[in-house]
Amino acid sequence: MHISLQWLREFVPFQGTVQELAERLTMQGLEVEAIIDPFEAIASIVVGHVLECADHPDSDHLHVCSVDVGGPEVLQIVCGAPNVAKGQKVPVALIGTTMPGGMQIKKGKLRGVASHGMICSERELGLSEDHEGIMVLPETFAPGKLLVDALGLEREVIEVSITPNRADCLSVLGIARETALGFGLPLTMPALNLKEDASAGDANTVVRIDIADGELCPVYRARALTGVKIAKSPDWMRYRLIAIGQRPISNIVDVTNYILMELGQPLHAFDNKLLKGGVIRVAPATPDQQDGQSITTLDGQERKLLASDLLIWDGERPVALAGVMGGANSSVSDETTEVLLECAIFRPGTIRKTARRLALPSEASYRFERGVDQVGSLFALERAAQLMAEVSGARVLTGIAMAEPKPWAERSHGFRIDRCNALLGLSLTPEFCKTTLTGLGCTVDDSNAANWRVTSPPHRLDLEREVDLFEECGRVHGLDRIPAVLPRISKSLDSVQMRDTEFGFLQRLKAWAVGAGLREAINYSFVGTDDLDRLNLPVEGRITIANPLSEDQNVLRTEIAPGLLNNVRHNLAQGNASLRLFEVAKAFVEDTTSDTGARENSRLGMLVHGARHSQEWPWEQGEADYLDVKGLVENLLAHLRLGPASFILEPAHPYLEPCVRVEVAAKSGVRLVGRMGRVQPKIADAYHARKDIWLADMDADLLRELSRATKPSFKSLPKFPPVRRDVTVICPATLHAEAIEAAVLEIKPKNLESLALVAVYAPEGPADGKGERNLTFRLTYRHADRTLVDKEVDKEHGKVLSGLPQKLPVRI
Amino acid sequence: MLKSFLEGLDGLTLECEARRGQACSLKDLEALRVEFLGRKGKLAAGMGALAQMGPEDKPAAGKKANEVKNALTALLESRQAELEAEAAQDALAGFDPSLPGRRPAAGSLHPVTLAMQEICEVLTGLGFEVVAGPEVENDWNNFEALNMPPDHPARDMQDTLYVSDTVLLRTHTSPLQVRTMLSRKPPVAVIAPGKVYRRDSDITHTPMFHQIEGLLVDKNVSMADLRGTLTAFVRQLFSADTKVRFRPSFFPFTEPSAEVDISCMLCGGEGHVAGEPCRVCKKTGWVEILGCGMVDPNVFRSVGYDPEAYTGFAFGLGVERVAMLKYGIGDLRMFFENDVRFLEQFS
Repeated sequence: MHISLQWLREFVPFQGTVQELAERLTMQGLEVEAIIDPFEAIASIVVGHVLECADHPDSDHLHVCSVDVGGPEVLQIVCGAPNVAKGQKVPVALIGTTMPGGMQIKKGKLRGVASHGMICSERELGLSEDHEGIMVLPETFAPGKLLVDALGLEREVIEVSITPNRADCLSVLGIARETALGFGLPLTMPALNLKEDASAGDANTVVRIDIADGELCPVYRARALTGVKIAKSPDWMRYRLIAIGQRPISNIVDVTNYILMELGQPLHAFDNKLLKGGVIRVAPATPDQQDGQSITTLDGQERKLLASDLLIWDGERPVALAGVMGGANSSVSDETTEVLLECAIFRPGTIRKTARRLALPSEASYRFERGVDQVGSLFALERAAQLMAEVSGARVLTGIAMAEPKPWAERSHGFRIDRCNALLGLSLTPEFCKTTLTGLGCTVDDSNAANWRVTSPPHRLDLEREVDLFEECGRVHGLDRIPAVLPRISKSLDSVQMRDTEFGFLQRLKAWAVGAGLREAINYSFVGTDDLDRLNLPVEGRITIANPLSEDQNVLRTEIAPGLLNNVRHNLAQGNASLRLFEVAKAFVEDTTSDTGARENSRLGMLVHGARHSQEWPWEQGEADYLDVKGLVENLLAHLRLGPASFILEPAHPYLEPCVRVEVAAKSGVRLVGRMGRVQPKIADAYHARKDIWLADMDADLLRELSRATKPSFKSLPKFPPVRRDVTVICPATLHAEAIEAAVLEIKPKNLESLALVAVYAPEGPADGKGERNLTFRLTYRHADRTLVDKEVDKEHGKVLSGLPQKLPVRI
Repeated sequence: MLKSFLEGLDGLTLECEARRGQACSLKDLEALRVEFLGRKGKLAAGMGALAQMGPEDKPAAGKKANEVKNALTALLESRQAELEAEAAQDALAGFDPSLPGRRPAAGSLHPVTLAMQEICEVLTGLGFEVVAGPEVENDWNNFEALNMPPDHPARDMQDTLYVSDTVLLRTHTSPLQVRTMLSRKPPVAVIAPGKVYRRDSDITHTPMFHQIEGLLVDKNVSMADLRGTLTAFVRQLFSADTKVRFRPSFFPFTEPSAEVDISCMLCGGEGHVAGEPCRVCKKTGWVEILGCGMVDPNVFRSVGYDPEAYTGFAFGLGVERVAMLKYGIGDLRMFFENDVRFLEQFS
């Protein structure tokens, strides 16, 4: 909302600076976002006096002018405008001026004649669309004076951000009320001086108002004007509209905009000759007729209507979308001579629905949606009619055609000052509160000192409850003057929170991942359908966004992988070749049993790609592989005290190959805590990865559930020394290490404490699984109560040596 | 005889003294030791004459022989110490302390997580508990229960991503207020960190970002308590001299509502740094950091709390905003590109 200071001062005698005003309004809850000079672009244009004007010797349309711009020298300026003439006062752009369009005025020659500036048209100055000729200024203007000063243009405009509750501030009047309140100044309304012309007739004989539902339209008033002459508005009105960013159109339309901006009341002017049947009817659309129903709005667009749209009808047809936009069939044009001026109030929700559905937000609908002052609307109609008569030469018919099925009902609320002070943490006096509420336009009945009765003014639709009045008192006193006190936070013993919250556990996972040398990524929760399709993820269960910003953000991710894979693509494109990333975030799938229709599952994703270690010496070079990602998973499980885990090759997976299931034995049975594997090379290609991408996707919610059931448990340290024996097993490459370990355990050698794989030797050869490899296991034997002697270890170890080849196709 | 014996022994000392410098290694020195002090060495050879001496000369000769032995031993030992010191020197000469270490891979938290952890730490320290909730929400929890009925203009403040007519991606963490109050009786003191979503994407908006919501409900909670809590909060988060400013504003679920500015951490509220306009606060000296207010009675009604018996405050702040201010990050979009050159700056 742009407010001109000059305009504001017509309502309130504020003499301070624009900065003081901005500061005060901001601290009163009307945030001033900017202070603007709307005519900055033409601030250096000066008034010139054309002393001589001769034809250009070498052109049939150029003129060579001598122009006095107030300086010691008279400037020679070549001008092509047909209307330039000796004796005129004109706007002159001097050498070095940058015009509103960005053009720079330089010294130059036109057909051989030097020109020291430019005489400007209104369009060149951004003052109108007029480019027929140069702008001719009043003779009284003194040469050399700045044009902006000579024209009295408004130089100080504030841009105020109005919160949705303050519909009353969407006007000069509204900001003036706040200014008066803030600085203790009186508010003056413009004098009303409407002259009705009885000879022109009475509005009530021209039109009758018929409102179908007072809820949708509590009041509709219309004035009729005759003898209208459509023309450009007077300069002062045009410049004022330009100053606040409105485009002047014609006198009648400009007056409706002027009043809208000044008083916040949207108006509509019909060409009364185009209205039929002598009636204005306010009623919803009736699209149930065959082929539905539509209206062509004055922007030329045909709009399909629903029964929820409120229309203005004449005797035969819809003529406007109520509160949103007028119809093309009845709008004011250059030929208009008869005007019917509408001033009404419509139900906010109805206007909002229509404006949003048709994507047709307008200054009018914006105000109707938020609520317009029903009582004040009469003043707006009268002032608008008066201004229209003044600027268009029209005669105003006597009387107002109107219907008011639902007159404004005053609303009053209790006000307990004790409660006000308790809520705000202040000690406001009754005097202050009363002055403030009265200053806001409320009527205060304080006959009961503890519980006042406060009637709110009709322009403050937001003052609906006692607490709204508390806010007003706080706001006017200054919320910033509330003291700071630390509250005592009391808790109920029954609801004391346990330490292992979801948030806490996820933070713990993150801390572990950082320790494991992974960097945290955070991706959007939504991806594109393509991202999921690329990974062959099921279509069922996806949650799609009904109104996505773009196609690559139209579905919630069903797994953690898509985001991390997109990070691979981004990083590789930036030349970051080695990646160790993790992300803790939710995956979303449809779940009809959930109250939101979604099941949200926190996942921990880990991704390694490229060099295993830093590329710097002394690390040996090598590329991340299965053992790297598995190591991360094993380390994580150990960190959470989970296990033993099994790692089971899955026969098929949508995007991993190989894919290994990670299962953990828990009290509740064997639980699938995640999967890991290599992204299928074809899919990795799509992310421009030439090396393997290894990924683990762990179920963080399940990890939390399982790990909260575990705790560290102390075992006494062994008192007697161990005996270690190594055994090297020569086995087919297809035989898994796990199978050998299981076989050893099955043999149940006595006093075996632990078993560890210490070496793998696979002779060079084709990796087709047909070769052999050597696995060396270290078996540790220990007795809890005595030192083992070699002989008994030999005996047990011998069982292993002889037993393994019997159980498995291996040699020792 | 004694005289020549004594002179011979002195000669040994002189010779050893002269030659020990030529021993350039411990091996050379060992050879020298054997030559002089060995069983068949020069000293032993000289001592052979001792046996033939008369008893009157023997004590003096014996004493001398002992002195010479000690002197030779000392000479050789001192040379050994020299050589060892030299060897140690040589060994250190090959030691390069500037070689890169064998550094394990470094991990790092995302700056949003860093800021979020810091914020949560401060607020839990003040007595708030952390709660969590779904990101896909019902319209009722996200809007209606928060005093934003359908077709309320306040809904324009938050462009919403919808899943269906009644289900959406939460536009703020405030539905956690509703969920918490529905499941607990007052007093309540919780914070709710998490992801939120808006249908908005430009240089200063991303369609997903992070918020932290705070809610305190009890008997007699006032706006002074709110101000105290937030003052303590921003002082711990930024610095002890951070100032707080309350500006009246509007949120449908609080009444009164305020936006909170803090004194600019870059220019210290001066509005300029070394004569230049401050780029963080744009010369105002203040930086907007969060929104807050007293819980609206309508919110209490929708969760079944008695607004006459209880009052409370709520506040919400954007985590990215805090991270940008704290770490000097200029471009919001960097947060979700996950470029490792960005991420590693927060190790």
